Amino acid sequence: MLEKAKHADPPETRFIAPGHTFGSVTEKISSAVLTKRTPVSWFIGFAVGFALLQALALGVTWILVRGVGLWGLNQPVGWGFAIINFVWWIGIGHAGTLISAILLLLNQKWRMSISRAAEAMTIFAVMCAAMFPLFHTGRPWLAAYWLLPYPNTMSLWPNFRSPLVWDVFAVSTYFTVSLVFWYTGLIPDLASLRDRAKHRLLQIAYGVLSLGWRGSARDWQRYELASLLLAGLSTPLVLSVHTVVSFDFATSLIPGWHATIFPPYFVAGAIYAGFAMVLTLMIPLRRIYGFEDFVTMRHLENMAKVMLATGLIVFYGYQMEAFFAWYSANPYEWFMMKNRWTGPYAYLYWTLIFCNGVAPQALWFKKIRTTPLLLFGICMFVNVGMWIERFIIVPTSLSRDFMPSSWGIYHGTRWDWMVFVGTMGLFLTCFYLFIRVLPMLSIFEVRTLSTSAVAKEESGHA
Amino acid sequence: MPDDAAPHAATTAAALYGVVAEFETVDQLLAAARRVHTEGFRKIDAYTPAPVHGLAEAMGYNDRRLSLLTLLGGLAGCVAGFGLCYWTSVIDYPVNTGGRPLNSWPSFIVPTFETTILFAALSCFLGLILLCGFPQPYHPVFNVAAVRERATSNGLFLAIEAVDPRFDHTATRQLLESAGAKDVYDVEP
Amino acid sequence: MSELRTQAFQAPPDVDRIQRVALALGGVALLVALVGAVVDTEQFYRSYLLGYIFTLAIPMGCLGLLMIQHLTGGGWGMVTRRTLEAAVRTLPLMALLFVPIALGLSHLYEWTHAEIVATDRVLQWKAPYLNPTFFVIRAVFYFGLWTTMALLLTKWSREQDATGGDDWRLRLVSGPGILLFGLTITLASVDWVMSLDAHWYSTIFGLLFMVSEGLSALAFVILMTFFLSRTPEMSRVLTPKRFHDLGKLLLTFVMLYAYLAFSQFLLIWSANLPEEVTYFLIRTRERWQWLSVLVIVGHFAFPFCLLLLRDLKRQANRLAMLAVIILAMRFLETYWLVVPNFRADQMSVHWLDVTVALGLVGLWLAAFCWNLKGRALLPVGDPYLEEALADGHH
Repeated sequence: MLEKAKHADPPETRFIAPGHTFGSVTEKISSAVLTKRTPVSWFIGFAVGFALLQALALGVTWILVRGVGLWGLNQPVGWGFAIINFVWWIGIGHAGTLISAILLLLNQKWRMSISRAAEAMTIFAVMCAAMFPLFHTGRPWLAAYWLLPYPNTMSLWPNFRSPLVWDVFAVSTYFTVSLVFWYTGLIPDLASLRDRAKHRLLQIAYGVLSLGWRGSARDWQRYELASLLLAGLSTPLVLSVHTVVSFDFATSLIPGWHATIFPPYFVAGAIYAGFAMVLTLMIPLRRIYGFEDFVTMRHLENMAKVMLATGLIVFYGYQMEAFFAWYSANPYEWFMMKNRWTGPYAYLYWTLIFCNGVAPQALWFKKIRTTPLLLFGICMFVNVGMWIERFIIVPTSLSRDFMPSSWGIYHGTRWDWMVFVGTMGLFLTCFYLFIRVLPMLSIFEVRTLSTSAVAKEESGHA
Repeated sequence: MPDDAAPHAATTAAALYGVVAEFETVDQLLAAARRVHTEGFRKIDAYTPAPVHGLAEAMGYNDRRLSLLTLLGGLAGCVAGFGLCYWTSVIDYPVNTGGRPLNSWPSFIVPTFETTILFAALSCFLGLILLCGFPQPYHPVFNVAAVRERATSNGLFLAIEAVDPRFDHTATRQLLESAGAKDVYDVEP
Repeated sequence: MSELRTQAFQAPPDVDRIQRVALALGGVALLVALVGAVVDTEQFYRSYLLGYIFTLAIPMGCLGLLMIQHLTGGGWGMVTRRTLEAAVRTLPLMALLFVPIALGLSHLYEWTHAEIVATDRVLQWKAPYLNPTFFVIRAVFYFGLWTTMALLLTKWSREQDATGGDDWRLRLVSGPGILLFGLTITLASVDWVMSLDAHWYSTIFGLLFMVSEGLSALAFVILMTFFLSRTPEMSRVLTPKRFHDLGKLLLTFVMLYAYLAFSQFLLIWSANLPEEVTYFLIRTRERWQWLSVLVIVGHFAFPFCLLLLRDLKRQANRLAMLAVIILAMRFLETYWLVVPNFRADQMSVHWLDVTVALGLVGLWLAAFCWNLKGRALLPVGDPYLEEALADGHH
């Protein structure tokens, strides 16, 4: 019966379709950038993204002109869309680092063909997230003028006991390290493009960016060591980022914010949201660019499984919040929970439970995990659900705090929505530009997936 | 810069950067690298489109300095981060914030952790760039058309530099050919 | 063919010896402890709870790891599966050993005293949950569920040895099983440990408890795997790569525990709420603070630094030595978790703390050894066995 183990992998379980060689992989992925006609869908997608980006431009301009009073913030809800969107975008970014770093350490080969796009997604998501802390200062150039350099005229230093300062450290470190990691991964592929580009300007551009990479064995040895080290550093970093984001809430005393489960529950939520977004992007892309050979059904299934696992941890977090709200015997905690269930935002709470708790249970079924369209649908629920989760946390607690006389209600204004939708435009625009000018799959890593094929088939080349 | 540096015997050995041989399979390349190294050549390098497991080791090469650099960077970041928190909060301008101790080390761990990672990652990246000698706008192997066209897509190359004391133009070429090279090219400096 | 392989991968005779020694030691320790129970009943129950929580962590952690390896596959799961299975089959014994705790509730938990509850608003609020009847009903339910899952998983795995072929039932139980496991263990941690101080609460506690059980189990599994790797048949399978994987997993658990514990500490320390912060105030008082420091260093810093070394993870004997240290630290951490609830003012060690723990561990180890024998040390019928072990040689 042991022979069964030896049978060839059925097609749907492979990470790369059979018959690919170093050459064919290079050809197929780089041609999407260099030679192939840009698909019509690219222009449509870019146009949509660029149109939405105008919403951001308009929203931000008007906010700079009139002030952040345009946002729906007022007493008692002083935190709203800005932080919700910030947390949502940061969370989405996490899957990129997770795929490229943690799965690299775990030696999971399936990450190779999705890591590039996922890392790009991380960087763009963090850029979108950064919009909110930047523009919530009202007139950022003034903030920069008065706040930098430290110490200012009052000789005060930032309060390093404040989670908001930790956030600055965490997010800027995260962005820098993600960018460095991403660029490091790009160097050999940029060299590939340099050597294959026909146009002189492209040759120079890719040549400068590739730093003179020539695939030397000595460089590869250092390069692989550096990749491992960067992955080892990125793994605790990515976990720390959403942990620090959760500290923004959890170090406070607000019921519904101050919960010790927040750090792991936020991290799980971030991975959950991130994988949903990776799937949201990859499912259409693999179809449009014909990358089904590289982003196989098995990739989709694995990502769906990660989503299921992290989704269950998130759901566990919801249950713990509810149980301990009662168990704490703290009237404010228990009121907070009842307010979530039946208060003014109850409809959102139950939508959240459906989107994040019920809908993903469908992923238990292989049939659903391996049907891209259904999987795409589930991911949409999760994308929405994770945004609602942050909404439930922020205004629900603030609008009904300790003193009933100061209760209020919060809704985003049209400017809130405009800036939020606008950041989606920024994200899409950046992402479409990325897939146009850079290889959206890691060419050299996908090459190694075909290594076994080299010995037999490589001899065919001229 | 000649467009094609295909073998032509007229080139004198002294003017050469070295020779580069192209192989058809990874196994052949690995075997050749091992053999050339055993023969005593040290100024050798291989060019492959993807990392080949054990190739650097086959040429007697294993650079672990990057680990040390990263560690040092991390330690520096750790000290810098905690030092920043401590100096500003305890020494330079002590302020009672929420009744917490001046040296609130549990809070300071968070920024310290982030700077540790930041410094370590940047040391690792800059170390890689530095050790590889990047950015490097010019390298002689690119004078060979085959390397230019295939080293970053599907070609496997092994180069021996002329400065190697054991280098002898004819003998080295023969050695590479006998090791299974499909083609051997001279590399203009 | 599988018949032959089953015979080839048998437990070494040393297991018999360990079983006898463990049983003798454990039996003697428990008998001595019974004397202590007569002399100081309250102390006996308190020491018993400590020893029980420490011992139970191993089979419970193993149950979690067993289900995880059924779901994820991989070489580490193949080589440790039989150890995990032998451990989880001690759960009926652990259920039996829970009886003294149920009998000694009034010595352990203040919420069992009606007169205290009558004057305490918080305990009154919690009374629908924290009352002796419901406490026992829940414990019966937990053990019923855990034992059922453990026995089903081990029974099917045994059947697989004979029949071969892929058994989808193992995954069918493990998927939802891990969910139920997570929820029940959280509630159990609230019941048995958190409610020792019924005013205190922390939402991360269940997760922290789960991870600490996983760490105990993993350290034990590594120790056993090293022990089994000395038999000629198993030594061919238990390559450095296997230990490397187990070492990486151990590092993950060490870091995960530290991460969760630090998160809990930082949040409670920052918020400084009177009903929460007592937990850390007690544990940083007087001599307790030195135990806290020892736990930070021995439970995190020391193993963390060592496990970063690649060579250490690949050398089975050194990894096993580290596993022993971690198990010792696990006992200290359990001590740090449980005992301050009884001795808030000053840290002190009662001779019963050690004796009862020794007795329970001895008894449990004997049961484990007994379970380990008779079955192949590898799941020889698993169709993925060969594939999972194929990558072991680099």
